[in-house]
Amino acid sequence: MFATDDTIVAVATPPGRGGLGVVRFSGPEALAVTTKLLGRGEPLQPRHATVGTVVDPSASHRDAIDQVVATFFPGPRSYTGDDVVEITAHGSPVLLERILSLGCSAGARLAEPGEFTLRAFLNGRLDLVQAEAVGDLIDAVTPLQARIAFDQLEGTVTQAIAAIDAKLFDLVARLEASLDFANEGYHFVEPGTLAGRIGAIREQVLRLVRGAARGRLIREGCQVVILGKPNVGKSSVFNALVGSSRAIVTPVAGTTRDLVSSVIDLDGLAVTLIDSAGIRETTDPVEAEGVSRARQAFGVAAAAIVVLDRSQPIEDEDRLVLSETSGGRRVVVLNKMDECAAWTPDAMELPVDGVAVEMSARTGDGLEELRVALRSALVGEEELRDTPSVGNRRHIGLLDQAGAALEAAETAVKTGATEEFVLADLQRARAAFEELTGARTPDDVVNHIFARFCIGK
Amino acid sequence: MTRDYDVVVVGAGHAGVEAAHAAARLGCTVGLCTLSRETVAHMPCNPAIGGTAKGHLVREIDALGGLMGEAIDATAMQFKLLNRSRGPAVWSPRAQADKREYGRWMRSRLEADTQIGWVVGRVGAVCVEGGRVVGVELEDGRRYGCGAVVVTTGTFLNGVIHVGEEQRSAGRVGEPASKMLGESLKSLGLVWGRLKTGTPPRLDRASIDFSQFEEEPGDVPPVPFSFVSGEIDRRQTPCHILYTNDRAHDLVRENKDRSPLYNGQISGIGPRYCPSLEDKVMRFPDRDRHLVFLEPEGVDVPEIYVSGCSMCLPRDVQEAVIHALPGLGQARMLRPGYAVEYDFIQPTELRRTLETQRVAGLFLAGQINGTSGYEEAGGQGLVAGVNAARLVRGEGEWVLGRDEAYIGVMVDDLTTRGCLEPYRMFTSRAEHRLLLRIDNADLRLTPSGRELGLVGDERWSQFVARRERFERNVAAVRAARVPGRGGAVPLTQVLRRPGVTLQGLAGDGAVKVVTGSGAAEHEWSSVETVVKYEGYLRRQAATVARGERDERRRIPAGFPYGAVPGLSREVVERLSGVAPSTLGQAGRVPGVTPAAVAVLGSYVRRWSDREMAGPPE
Ligand SMILES: Cc1cc2nc3c(=O)[nH]c(=O)nc-3n(C[C@H](O)[C@H](O)[C@H](O)COP(=O)(O)OP(=O)(O)OC[C@H]3O[C@@H](n4cnc5c(N)ncnc54)[C@H](O)[C@@H]3O)c2cc1C
Ligand SMILES: Nc1nc2c(ncn2[C@@H]2O[C@H](COP(=O)(O)OP(=O)(O)OP(=O)(O)O)[C@@H](O)[C@H]2O)c(=O)[nH]1
Ligand SMILES: [Mg+2]
Repeated sequence: MFATDDTIVAVATPPGRGGLGVVRFSGPEALAVTTKLLGRGEPLQPRHATVGTVVDPSASHRDAIDQVVATFFPGPRSYTGDDVVEITAHGSPVLLERILSLGCSAGARLAEPGEFTLRAFLNGRLDLVQAEAVGDLIDAVTPLQARIAFDQLEGTVTQAIAAIDAKLFDLVARLEASLDFANEGYHFVEPGTLAGRIGAIREQVLRLVRGAARGRLIREGCQVVILGKPNVGKSSVFNALVGSSRAIVTPVAGTTRDLVSSVIDLDGLAVTLIDSAGIRETTDPVEAEGVSRARQAFGVAAAAIVVLDRSQPIEDEDRLVLSETSGGRRVVVLNKMDECAAWTPDAMELPVDGVAVEMSARTGDGLEELRVALRSALVGEEELRDTPSVGNRRHIGLLDQAGAALEAAETAVKTGATEEFVLADLQRARAAFEELTGARTPDDVVNHIFARFCIGK
Repeated sequence: MTRDYDVVVVGAGHAGVEAAHAAARLGCTVGLCTLSRETVAHMPCNPAIGGTAKGHLVREIDALGGLMGEAIDATAMQFKLLNRSRGPAVWSPRAQADKREYGRWMRSRLEADTQIGWVVGRVGAVCVEGGRVVGVELEDGRRYGCGAVVVTTGTFLNGVIHVGEEQRSAGRVGEPASKMLGESLKSLGLVWGRLKTGTPPRLDRASIDFSQFEEEPGDVPPVPFSFVSGEIDRRQTPCHILYTNDRAHDLVRENKDRSPLYNGQISGIGPRYCPSLEDKVMRFPDRDRHLVFLEPEGVDVPEIYVSGCSMCLPRDVQEAVIHALPGLGQARMLRPGYAVEYDFIQPTELRRTLETQRVAGLFLAGQINGTSGYEEAGGQGLVAGVNAARLVRGEGEWVLGRDEAYIGVMVDDLTTRGCLEPYRMFTSRAEHRLLLRIDNADLRLTPSGRELGLVGDERWSQFVARRERFERNVAAVRAARVPGRGGAVPLTQVLRRPGVTLQGLAGDGAVKVVTGSGAAEHEWSSVETVVKYEGYLRRQAATVARGERDERRRIPAGFPYGAVPGLSREVVERLSGVAPSTLGQAGRVPGVTPAAVAVLGSYVRRWSDREMAGPPE
């Protein structure tokens, strides 16, 4: 861990040339250091944007570096909880570097990545979930990713978990009461309902976990591979989705040999689209390698787009591709609809289950339908904002742990174990929740019990 | 001051007797101060020892070589193992005591101890020189010098008892309060507060129509508390059960304004787990009846204790309430119930040895620390007595961990969190409950007791034999195989099935288990439990191991919490007050978040390095 009692500095805006750049200082010396940089006699006023000039105090002529706006946020009511000063300068990287190095010679230290957020967390300004969300926010590529990160920052995930934990806590308190106040003549939990109550809580956890799988897709993006026999128009479909002529298109079957990829934004979903070699038996070693790569890509992809040529008769190779992809998520595209149809799926008894999209890569007809079909194959029809999405592997792991502990508790109840063993499992689930939100509530089980029951001699 | 005793114990209640006995066993001379020899280990309330979690405390006191277990086994009128329908971790023994016999047993045991001298009188002050205790002074002017003092004065500090509008200064009914001692302790700067407790009326046995009630018999055979008691062969006396009714509740409601609890006369906070009848009726109006136990206070004494009817209404109202109950229409009230308010010292003033942080050599134990209950007092008495003796002898601190004993949980809770209401032990307070069972209290603690010097040769040799049997039995069970579907299967696999017991399997000849003579219940139970619930025990042990790093990281005395950035002023104040001795303990101080512990950890490390390197220039 880093030291947490010195003053750190970093450029807070993204690297590269921008209109404005912000240099952030945090720590006990933040005010003193910046006062020196600004060459001011009097310190900055709290929460006031002050126009000033950064000077090099060591230079003999006290060179003016830049016109800036400086704002002082006194701790603990600042982003990090320390004293914070933000200097907004013009966005030239050279200039910002200069301010940084001046800050360092005036007593600050260059911050490690994530160190501002770490301090905010250590000072209790953010809970753990929120702290991780800040990192995600900064890394967010598409607007939807940013929204999910915001959800976490606002604490909706924390709230959802807290709501589940509250139910679990109530159940735990009641079971504890039935042990500690065994002779009170109470049913703290109606016999026979226990397994059901645990099951209901577990179901809520599972729902969050399922949402999490979606959340992860959104957060980390996914790959979609385009498959089909040669010359059906795969590269053309790829180019249509990407919106430029990334892949080579020719009338020659076997044009594409290696994998070609490009990231597209599918309504907020970052999808890495992969074009591949047409699948067929071949003796050409180069093409054979391409075919094998296409199959490997399918192995790791989240979904496939299977392209069929509607203007030509169906062949065994088409059937091969369809059967090879039938296990996973896929969208079947019936391409070249601008030409005469040579067949219909029904007549050919093709296993085109689920979605088949008719389109023309040449004219662009049906492209929007393909986008919609692909998106729903990846994340389902549900509106993405309906349930809070848990988008972080650590969170998903802990939710899984909680789910497993709850399942163990349910099994324990069903096999006749008594409360203290069920409780041992339930407590593990609670520990996972607490680790998730980073907040440990002192287990005032006893308070909870006395608020609800009249017990004791 | 010249030293008259190594250790002076003030008070011969449940904490005092264990403290005096423990210090004496550790080789110290002990001066035991009491208001009277007649009230040694007196039970002012429920004539019973044990119950859920409290039974665990008694087993632990016994396993360490304390007195409580043997005393109750020798004098109980009825034994019961509570929670028998549940698993072994929450079984808890409870017994009705013949309370006069119980006190006599304790007294004669201490009188036989030549290390203990008796000082009958009222202690008025603790004498302190240079921040260190040097003796005590009685109100009559007698002074006794010593190396350590253990104060165990229960509800006596500025006690006031209430019966309706009547208020009287008293520690317990008929016994005057200790005012000077209270002032003496406060003048040392100890933070204190005020609490309240109460007791029900006592009825004359001859005036009660017992035919109206359900009878509660004891267990046959009785399960003893002590590991050294052997079989108990005594006739048991039943208790009786009845319920309150609307008529009684109406009387309480109508006279609410005459109860000191509801007219502002009492300000101290009472125990919620021991609610008065007034509280039950007023706070839970939906319940139309409450359970009442009639418990005899002795084999041949007239007093019957009306458990569940603690109240401090005026005498005439109490009588009317009692007479409203079925079978008690003619009952004669020998003594009314009453409430007692008393001062206690906030236990965050204490280290985990129960020595005060402010005054070296001054220890506090029992109800003075905000707890309630005989067993809680006994456990603390033992901890304080041992540490007082070790201090005098120049030996190190003795602290039990939360993963070692309920006593450890209790002392950690008290010293870390303090008391806002009277503290009582519950099994839910012990997060490592499955490891802290009554059956293994001896396996957990007797070796420590031996090392301390509390466990005598006889108990020790019994224990060594029992431990050997245990290990051999576990090995036998693990090795055994029994015929099953498709060949022989391990016995452990069969034992883990629901409903299968080791005693059952041994009865069928599947394995040979050897137990000691006398009551062997705990021997069966410890073997069965470690095999049957192995998975649970292993997981709990893993949790303990995970927390160990923080439990081992010591925070040096005098650590400047104020210098740690980001801690709120409130948290700094709490931490400075509690002065936790480890990072783990710091994390349990109310208001301290895991984030705060993380920062604290890094500062403690750096501060210790700096201190080690010498003071800054
Ligand atoms: C009215 C009443 C109701 C209670 N109700 C309950 C209940 O419902 N449930 C429950 O769990 N617990 C109850 N208790 C509490 C239980 O009795 C105590 O927690 C337990 O006895 C405390 O033990 P102790 O050793 O701390 O103090 P005590 O057993 O009270 O012993 C105090 C000792 O100190 C001695 N002493 C006091 N002052 C001096 C002095 N100045 N000099 C020398 N000696 C002194 C006394 O003589 C006495 O021997 C009740 C107590 C009372 C009084
Ligand atoms: N009429 C018509 N022709 C199309 C359409 N899509 C692709 N083509 C033509 O089909 C031929 C093959 O197109 P590609 O996109 O290269 O096909 P491919 O599946 O990538 O072929 P390989 O890389 O060789 O496997 C080209 O001549 C395209 O112009 C379409 O929608 N309509
Ligand atoms: Mg191609």
